[in-house]
Amino acid sequence: MAPHSSQLKSASRTVHVRNLMRRFATKTILDRVDLDIAEGEFVALLGRSGSGKSTFLKALADLDHDVEGTGTLETPDNLSVVFQDARLLPWRTVIQNVTLGLPGAAGQEAGRKALAEVGLEGREAAWPNQLSGGEQQRVALARSLVRQPSLLLADEPFGALDALTRLKMHDLLRELCARHRPAVLLVTHDVDEAISLADRILVLDEGHLIEDLRIDLPTPRDHGDPRFAKIRTQLLSRLGVETPGRRAA
Amino acid sequence: MATIWDADEAKSSRTSSRESAFTVPAVARPVTSRSRRRLGPGPAIPFGLQIGPALLVLLWVAGSAFGWIDPRILSAPWTVIEAFGRLIEQGRLQDNFVTSATRALLGLSIGLVIGTILAVTAGLSRIGEALIDGPVQIKRAIPTLALIPLLILWFGIGEGMKVTTIALAVIIPIYIHTHNALRSIDSRYVELAETLRMSQKDFIFQVVLPGALPGFLLGLRFAVTLCWVSLVVVEQINATSGLGYMIELARNYGQTDVILVGLVVYVMLGLVSDGLVRLLERRVLSWRRTLAN
Repeated sequence: MAPHSSQLKSASRTVHVRNLMRRFATKTILDRVDLDIAEGEFVALLGRSGSGKSTFLKALADLDHDVEGTGTLETPDNLSVVFQDARLLPWRTVIQNVTLGLPGAAGQEAGRKALAEVGLEGREAAWPNQLSGGEQQRVALARSLVRQPSLLLADEPFGALDALTRLKMHDLLRELCARHRPAVLLVTHDVDEAISLADRILVLDEGHLIEDLRIDLPTPRDHGDPRFAKIRTQLLSRLGVETPGRRAA
Repeated sequence: MATIWDADEAKSSRTSSRESAFTVPAVARPVTSRSRRRLGPGPAIPFGLQIGPALLVLLWVAGSAFGWIDPRILSAPWTVIEAFGRLIEQGRLQDNFVTSATRALLGLSIGLVIGTILAVTAGLSRIGEALIDGPVQIKRAIPTLALIPLLILWFGIGEGMKVTTIALAVIIPIYIHTHNALRSIDSRYVELAETLRMSQKDFIFQVVLPGALPGFLLGLRFAVTLCWVSLVVVEQINATSGLGYMIELARNYGQTDVILVGLVVYVMLGLVSDGLVRLLERRVLSWRRTLAN
């Protein structure tokens, strides 16, 4: 198993990664990756499929039990993961899903509050199957929030949602992060999603971080803003997608 | 559809004012081109499930009434009903029913408890699996009926042997389905439980056991059916009471009507117990109903 330590050396640093290697059999998935994420910083990780972004997230979440690897990895104890699928237990009600593993009445109260925050008050007793895809993902967000994470890891959390629902979820996530200030690592392949949400965008390519871009646009970000378009073109070209020249202008 | 049709008609009436020759084909065309062959079995027939059995009973009644069926082969329905009344009057049916039901329920309960304990032990621990799974699979390969001679030597021909035989039969489906369900818990839920830092106890009681419940209930349905089947078998060997004994005795005396009464009671027991398990399933798995609908 990969070495993993939970002690943080610096108080203002939530994630500290040095020289992280991960390989499956003979294939190297992550090659000497270094990364620091500051407290409350929203980082988006872009990459093509197979670039190693999910492996990286699993390493951070300490979910890669059988993967070979080396390197320094420091993450906080109270980290929380939002998966691409909402991953709700279908045999537990919405409130039970949110408070899974939390003891007592305090947990119940916190769970109800978290559900209200994602706009699902009154649906506590519903079964997950009765909710739409977007609502299920909001329950998953509430389940993460209720644990007051200092690091939120999200693995393409909106990838399975339709375009309109996804935009609404962006607003919700931005609002929740502004209120709770966790550090966030959002893995996505949607460049626009990354630009409209993140303070900083990383691009992973064949196991190497090849881009580390700070986004200083004011929020909420306008997709029509020429600076937005310029960043998009730059990132797309890093991802190996050539765009027509007029977009960059 | 209607609006297209109306538009077509409107168009045709407009053109007809200029070229009246086109009127007829323009109106006739949509009727033929829009009728589409329907695939699939079509809408459900009301009381569809009852039609087959009702027809069989009707054939039985007609066959007996017109003398097509030899009463020595198959008694007439009214003779069976008479036999039913007579057996209840004599108290034989109730007595034998109670004896049989007691055996079946006792065997089922014992098998249920043992099967569940074995499945949970083997499903939740590797050592348990190493110790239990092999023997159960071997037991599964031995037909229950083949064990009866041995069980008679061990337990005699009394109630112990009968209940043991039923329990041994019931253990298998309960074990197989519950164990399989426990082992096939979605690994995504395991991952979730790890990220939520759930305790082992919470993991088992919130994730694993409720997740395996559908498998257990499926096993229970098989077990209930199997328990009646084994009951018939043990009651036709060396029994002095019970429904199977009643049927066996009737065979000796050529009483087709009594045999039929016994069979009807078995049918009812089978249907009622299966219905009860399904009712339980619907209660316990209410979270699933939204999917089924």
